[in-house]
Amino acid sequence: MIISVKDLRKVFTKERREVVALDGFDLEVLESEFVCLLGPSGCGKTTVLRIIAGLESKTSGQVLVHGKEVASSRPRVGMVFQEFALFPWRSSKKNVEFGLEVRHVPRDGRSKVADKYLDLVGLSGFAEAHPHELSGGMKQRVAIARALANEPEVLLMDEPFGSLDAQTRNLMQRELLRIWAATRKTVLFVTHSVDEAVFLADRIVVMTARPGKERESIEVLLPRPRDRTSPEFIAVRSRVLSELDEEFEKARARELSHSPEVKNNA
Amino acid sequence: MARNLLLAAVVAVAAVVIVGAYAATVLMREDNGGSVNYLRMPPATMAASLSGGGIDGYIAWEPFVSEAIVGHTGEVLFWSEDIMPEHPCCVVAVSQDFLDQPNGPEVTKRFLKAHLEATQWMVDAMADTTSDEYALLKTLAMEFTTRNESVVEEALKHLEFRYAVDAAMLSGLETFVDMYIETNQTTLAAVQGRGYGSVEDLVVTYVNETYLEGAVSVAPASSPLTPVVRAGYLLGDLHQLAYYVAWNGRVLGGEQSLFQKYGVVVENASGAPYANGGVVMDNFAGGNVDIGYLGAPPALIKHITIGTKIVIVAQVNIEGSGLVVRSGSGIQDIEDLVNRTIATPGETSIQHLLLKIALDREGLDLVLKT
Amino acid sequence: MNAILKWFKKMPRSQWKLILLVASILLFIGVWYAVSWWTELRDPVQGSLVPPPDEVASSFYWLLSNKDRATGIYLFQHMFTSLERVFLGFALAFALALPSGLLMGRSWVAEGLARPIVEIFRPIPPLAWAPAFLIIFKIFWGPVAVVFLGVFFPILFNVMLGARSVDRTLIDAARTLGARRSDVFTKVVLPYTVPYLMTGVTVGLGIGWMCIVAAEFVSAEGGGLGYFILANSDFGYYPEMYAGMVLIGILSVLTTGLAGLFEREVYKRMGMD
Repeated sequence: MIISVKDLRKVFTKERREVVALDGFDLEVLESEFVCLLGPSGCGKTTVLRIIAGLESKTSGQVLVHGKEVASSRPRVGMVFQEFALFPWRSSKKNVEFGLEVRHVPRDGRSKVADKYLDLVGLSGFAEAHPHELSGGMKQRVAIARALANEPEVLLMDEPFGSLDAQTRNLMQRELLRIWAATRKTVLFVTHSVDEAVFLADRIVVMTARPGKERESIEVLLPRPRDRTSPEFIAVRSRVLSELDEEFEKARARELSHSPEVKNNA
Repeated sequence: MARNLLLAAVVAVAAVVIVGAYAATVLMREDNGGSVNYLRMPPATMAASLSGGGIDGYIAWEPFVSEAIVGHTGEVLFWSEDIMPEHPCCVVAVSQDFLDQPNGPEVTKRFLKAHLEATQWMVDAMADTTSDEYALLKTLAMEFTTRNESVVEEALKHLEFRYAVDAAMLSGLETFVDMYIETNQTTLAAVQGRGYGSVEDLVVTYVNETYLEGAVSVAPASSPLTPVVRAGYLLGDLHQLAYYVAWNGRVLGGEQSLFQKYGVVVENASGAPYANGGVVMDNFAGGNVDIGYLGAPPALIKHITIGTKIVIVAQVNIEGSGLVVRSGSGIQDIEDLVNRTIATPGETSIQHLLLKIALDREGLDLVLKT
Repeated sequence: MNAILKWFKKMPRSQWKLILLVASILLFIGVWYAVSWWTELRDPVQGSLVPPPDEVASSFYWLLSNKDRATGIYLFQHMFTSLERVFLGFALAFALALPSGLLMGRSWVAEGLARPIVEIFRPIPPLAWAPAFLIIFKIFWGPVAVVFLGVFFPILFNVMLGARSVDRTLIDAARTLGARRSDVFTKVVLPYTVPYLMTGVTVGLGIGWMCIVAAEFVSAEGGGLGYFILANSDFGYYPEMYAGMVLIGILSVLTTGLAGLFEREVYKRMGMD
């Protein structure tokens, strides 16, 4: 068990109003497992990721990475963001070296590791390029290399392909699986695309609408590479979609009942 | 990255400082063996700078000399009369354009009548320091200079107000022009270029006594005569107190001012009071000032360099400047000033010129402190 | 005729810019001549306050190898004095404004504490301090302090703005990569702020030149260009005065150009051009 989350609760205070983002959320992720977190928007998927990464504090509950509480130790996790979050003033290679740099790895060692991971993501030829010279897909490759270069125990990915065009997105999904196969890292991947989740994951965790908790955990037992047009793929997809649709409906209904303007008009 | 930036900034600064220092030491200092350093400074800040240690001494007009005496920050090394007895100081000048107006000469005479009566009133008041007039004079002096009573009282002791055009004045003006020529600040050719045969010719033509002579017979007027006089004068210069006395109603018991008594309407020219005589000359040139109070040297130099068309019509005061050195500085005579820093009101001021003349006699130079 | 027209039409933008630059300078000189001629015609005395460009140019040439008549030292000595003061004031302001701006941009406590003080002092023109600084910091450092104030605030506020607008996800990314607070500061906030800093530097340099000239009007050890201008104007040496003013213009253009080059070099190194 590499990630173990039990009874996680997170309350935000927004303009003096308390919003319960997560309540009673449980999650367990095994070593080398590829898990997708799926749920209606605002269900707290990203918050789960940020709490595991140590970027956000929890209100209550237990979050263990490798058996250690996240709040007290800084877990060795890598995170990949939707906005790439590359340092624009650093070349690809220098971006990849960042984690090693702050951990005081000597220059030679940094360079070797960076080269290795740039090669892994297929960007050896772009080591000296700066982010503004790269396409969106290339940027995300750099970001993945950067996260991996730190040799994390877990790779957290927050809708990493959300801002890419459809074709690049498909390509990057295949690339990610290749990289995952090569490194066997544990991956926790947040997405709102059912198709993406079914294509990538060993297991899909569908979350409820806010306050978010686990609604259903669906194992995807299809062999890789998966064929998006196969009946088996479509069957899993339909199942996940129907789970999700129910949550969407719930979320929408609640939104309407909470909206004073709608009430007045009705 | 940040380190590179800082490094570059430091290198750039260092380079400039080094080059600047090199230039300052090697190229600038030629032979400073027998010279006194000077700095330009507004007189109002001189006493404070002296006590702050920024300068070793200063030469200025009253009341800024007495300010240091009363405040015990400095002592007077010499008064200007020690350098040049009865030297001219401030003068009244009229623009030629004003004199060319229909009533210009007549209004000028009336103005001068008020000026000479004010000057006479001050001279009389100062003759008896127990009189009511002296008390009023002190009050007016304090208002005009914004200095306190003890400073003004001390300053008045060192002043002599004199309106008359006399031989000492003319020879003094000649000395000033000769000094300008001697130090290459102007040339005899430039003087001749203005249509004067010689320096003496310049002085006797530039100073025109006829208006002052005509003023003596001016009688009190029942109604004012135009044009209005736009007057220029210097900020807080006790030498020019006559202007404030003539303008102020209290001297005649509050009914009317001396200017009003003689039927002349006087208003402060725009921007007046001015910082120095050069500025008064610029305002003459720009047509903003009709009659102005200013030091004789600036009146002379700009008349020569750019041909500002004015005429000197009267004196305001003689002497009344002094060189102050910091108490305990060990400066006891002029030679002790070598390598010290003395503040002056500026290169064209009479004080600067007098200091230059004094040093010149001892074979010393006055150079800008670098 | 047509061929010439065609040739003109085909000329690249960069060449046009050069032609426009020359035209602009010629136009300026032409207007200057006209104004000088017109004032001279109206009143010879006022005319001498606006000498024609060639008179100013020959004065400038004369000043290259002669001590100026008003102050008795060389023009380039005045120039060095001013340059030295501008760079000293600038360097001090830079060294202090950069860390203060970063701190105020990133820490609400620092900002809460410093902002009211800064807001009180900011609108005061640096020149208002000149007489006081002359007495407090003496004759050399007084004008430097005026330049310092003029340069300090543009840099401070630009850096603060930059530090405050740092992309949140960049900091998150750095933290997940193991960066501590100090790493975030030096490796994320500081580089992010550099373009803002450069804006502050360019604005500050311009203000610095304005400050030094005016501060030297009050008083100045070793002269300086402001002093040179004032003294020459006192004597009525107007061609010299304008030569000094032209020199200030040239120096200001040069230093701003230098800052621009520096900025481009920095951007290039940071890969942001």
